[in-house]
Amino acid sequence: MIVRLLAVMAAALALAGPAAACAHPRTSLAALEGQVMCPVCHTTLDQSNSQAAQQIKTFIAQRIAKCWTAQQIETALVANYGQAILAEPSHKGFDLLAWWLPIVGVLVGAIVLAFGVWRWSRRQGDEPPPAEESGLDDETERKIDELLAGME
Amino acid sequence: MTGRAKLIGQVAALACVAGLLALLVWKLAHQRHAPPVGSAAPAFTLPLLDGPGSVSLTSLRGHPVVLNFWASWCLPCKAEARVLERDWKRYGSRGVQFVGVDSDDLSSEARRFVTAHRLTFPMLDDGPGGVKGSYGISQVPETYVLDAKGKIVAHLAGPITDEGLASQFQAALKEVA
Repeated sequence: MIVRLLAVMAAALALAGPAAACAHPRTSLAALEGQVMCPVCHTTLDQSNSQAAQQIKTFIAQRIAKCWTAQQIETALVANYGQAILAEPSHKGFDLLAWWLPIVGVLVGAIVLAFGVWRWSRRQGDEPPPAEESGLDDETERKIDELLAGME
Repeated sequence: MTGRAKLIGQVAALACVAGLLALLVWKLAHQRHAPPVGSAAPAFTLPLLDGPGSVSLTSLRGHPVVLNFWASWCLPCKAEARVLERDWKRYGSRGVQFVGVDSDDLSSEARRFVTAHRLTFPMLDDGPGGVKGSYGISQVPETYVLDAKGKIVAHLAGPITDEGLASQFQAALKEVA
């Protein structure tokens, strides 16, 4: 593992010199590692030390050294591995569902919850207060009624 | 809540559960498994790794085929490459067609691998691994040996340099050649 890490670092360092002067802010391996998937272990590169992940890390490090932008690197990776190499779905076509569905779900859930609370609070207000309990059993109450009737 | 609203809520909840269940069933039904020995090998057409043109499995009908799935980052594939090239030279003249299928790989690295190991049999670019999936490959290297009719004679899930698989591979080659 250490050898592999050293290989990635060495590749980045070896190519760092000629790339010192980029026309745009240079991206970093750390920034891209969380956005690119390892195609065989299905985790992001920063969580994988597989051979496939190491190869992609080296590829990214070399392209960064050549002043490629993050977008250019991602495009090259998609050309090789397909869209699934990116951790985030794209912002177009069917993939848009992945972005909007959770938001729609949360909104619908909030509306349903608000409606339920509103109905419940309305019902609470409409209900007549419960009759007071005398605390006496039926037999005692009957006797009291008889006594009261006798007094009248 | 009115009876009608309650009913709508219940139907919606039921629809959600049914939808999730349908997704689960669909996922289970579409899980890809390795085609069994004796069955027909799944057909495919793939571009050549090192240039224009493509190869389809049906175009190889009439020849026994050795289908080797590999990737340039795979360490056992490096050890296996030498054996495959040796056997390609040995059995190619007897009509056995060797084909390499490279998946989940950087094309540039794959081409470098082919050059470094002096592999001379056709190499195909499977990109994100569609064909690899249809053959139920979970880890490279894996090798299928097909007879001249396209029927699977052997499936070797691992490097053919391994002791057990090496003898199985040689036996399958002798059977189809």
